Amino acid sequence: MEIEKGKTAKYLREKSGGVPEQAKENLKEFNRIKKLMLEALAQEDLTIKQLTDKLNMPSDEVVYHLMSLVKYGLVATGDVDDMDEYFTYKLKK
Amino acid sequence: MKDSLKSSSYDALVIGAGIAGGEAALNLANTGYKVLLVDKELSVGGKMIMLSKVFPTLDCAACITTPKVSEISRHPNITIFTGSEVSNIRKISDNEFVAKVTRKPRYVHVEDCTACQLCEKACPTSVRDQYQFGLIGRKAAFIPFSICSPKAAAIDIDNCTLCGACERVCPTHCIDFTMETETNELHVKTIVVATGFNLFDPNNIPRYGYGKYKNVITAMQMEREIAPTRPFHTILRPGDGKVPDKIAYVLCVGSRDATVGNPICSQICCMYSIKQAQLLMGALPMADVTIYYINIRSFGKGFEEFYQQAKGMGVNFVKGKIGRISEKENGNLILRYEDINKGKLQEAEHDMVILSTGVLPTKGIDGLFENETLTLDQFSFVGQSDMLASPAKTSIGGVFVAGAATGPMDIPDSILSAGAASSEAISYIIQHA
Ligand SMILES: Cc1cc2nc3c(=O)[nH]c(=O)nc-3n(C[C@H](O)[C@H](O)[C@H](O)COP(=O)(O)OP(=O)(O)OC[C@H]3O[C@@H](n4cnc5c(N)ncnc54)[C@H](O)[C@@H]3O)c2cc1C
Ligand code: SF4
Ligand code: SF4
Repeated sequence: MEIEKGKTAKYLREKSGGVPEQAKENLKEFNRIKKLMLEALAQEDLTIKQLTDKLNMPSDEVVYHLMSLVKYGLVATGDVDDMDEYFTYKLKK
Repeated sequence: MKDSLKSSSYDALVIGAGIAGGEAALNLANTGYKVLLVDKELSVGGKMIMLSKVFPTLDCAACITTPKVSEISRHPNITIFTGSEVSNIRKISDNEFVAKVTRKPRYVHVEDCTACQLCEKACPTSVRDQYQFGLIGRKAAFIPFSICSPKAAAIDIDNCTLCGACERVCPTHCIDFTMETETNELHVKTIVVATGFNLFDPNNIPRYGYGKYKNVITAMQMEREIAPTRPFHTILRPGDGKVPDKIAYVLCVGSRDATVGNPICSQICCMYSIKQAQLLMGALPMADVTIYYINIRSFGKGFEEFYQQAKGMGVNFVKGKIGRISEKENGNLILRYEDINKGKLQEAEHDMVILSTGVLPTKGIDGLFENETLTLDQFSFVGQSDMLASPAKTSIGGVFVAGAATGPMDIPDSILSAGAASSEAISYIIQHA
């Protein structure tokens, strides 16, 4: 098989007969959650509690995915509440 | 940084590139010996490179580790294999061992990677980041952590969808999915085992609720939360993103506990917990921090003063044995414990619990030796055949041990023990030349 520089992923995909099912599933799930979170935050800035209620998702999963989106540069951290307990999160412009 | 296969013959093989292995490699290399330093992880630095600050001085761990790691990486006498494991060692004669080392493909040519992170940005995936102990995600194309060495991307092939986006954006074309596992046969004169330690898995004590109650975390996870390269923008409960203000430490989790197969004291947990308590009080001035302990073992230089300093700052110390932890609807945790001084059962509510998990031996190092027996001690750490006179000597002539591979040990003791191991290895090479 001829291997073209910069296109070696294609080579491995063909060699290994496709993409591992688990990797495809993980990507699908992440895309689903990312879309939901970004759409919710596009409407208004939200706390984790508000996102949890809106998306009907366990709050620890909201923390994990939301913090990942902050790391990936898609979401920014806003202000903390008067009790210094919960932050608000917003879409990164 | 050397990461090549040019030579298959070295003076010394150092297995494990934590602070002990790194220090031993540097000592050997500075004396003029050629060293191959092997680590199974994608970066050198071991556990120390993941720490926030160090007890009892509260010096920044990264500020100490980074220059050391860069010295190791740039040393002309040191070749580093990361993502690699030794699979077999045969002793041929008094001055020759043959070791088989397997290098897993990184799918990135390290020498050409500029760590620009464009591949990370382009990669569509997200999976739990093992270097942040699962608190946050990372991409399948990723730089392990910001102070890693080699500072280069890697591809997590198990979570990669082979979409090719990373390759298309990489300006240096250093991503290469044609890379394959390599097995190298290496001839060396001496070996230093510096494979460090494992941490106790708190899932083995279900009554503490780790895994089930999301606001119960390990001290290693808290170490990440308070490090400058932390996963979150501040210290947060992973259960709901609340800034905690009533934090509890449970000491001796998986240590001094025969019921979980580890009867010995881990020696570092008291002090790292006291360190974290002080750092938390600095980061969250309004927070209450309570440490539940059986005994505080502050045996080293400056340790007792460090303990007293924590008390002076307002850290609450309770001599108490935790029976079980349960969770309230708001994610707070109820600790049921025996107050040892009062001889009474008590309950206390906290909003976050940190389990100070103990030190366990790494597994399998003895199985690598084909025609010799590497003796382990009764707790399965690497045995020291002459502990008082020659603490680095093992049951195999020419094989020495450094750091926490011999048993629980803090950083200064690991560095000291690496000094002993490298000196013994050097004198062994000279004697058997
Ligand atoms: C939460 C926490 C906080 C701490 N805080 C402090 C502190 O403030 N001050 C202090 O003095 N100490 C502290 N310590 C202790 C410190 O981490 C240890 O003393 C130190 O890491 C020991 O270094 P080491 O090189 O012996 O082992 P490690 O750091 O465990 O390094 C061992 C290396 O060997 C590699 N390895 C293992 N097996 C293999 C194999 N088969 N093949 C190839 N490579 C292998 C590992 O990947 C690792 O890189 C803390 C520990 C913990 C858990
Ligand atoms: S692999 Fe390429 S794109 Fe990724 S960090 Fe390295 S140079 Fe940048
Ligand atoms: S090929 Fe793999 S690592 Fe590269 S961008 Fe696609 S999923 Fe990420």
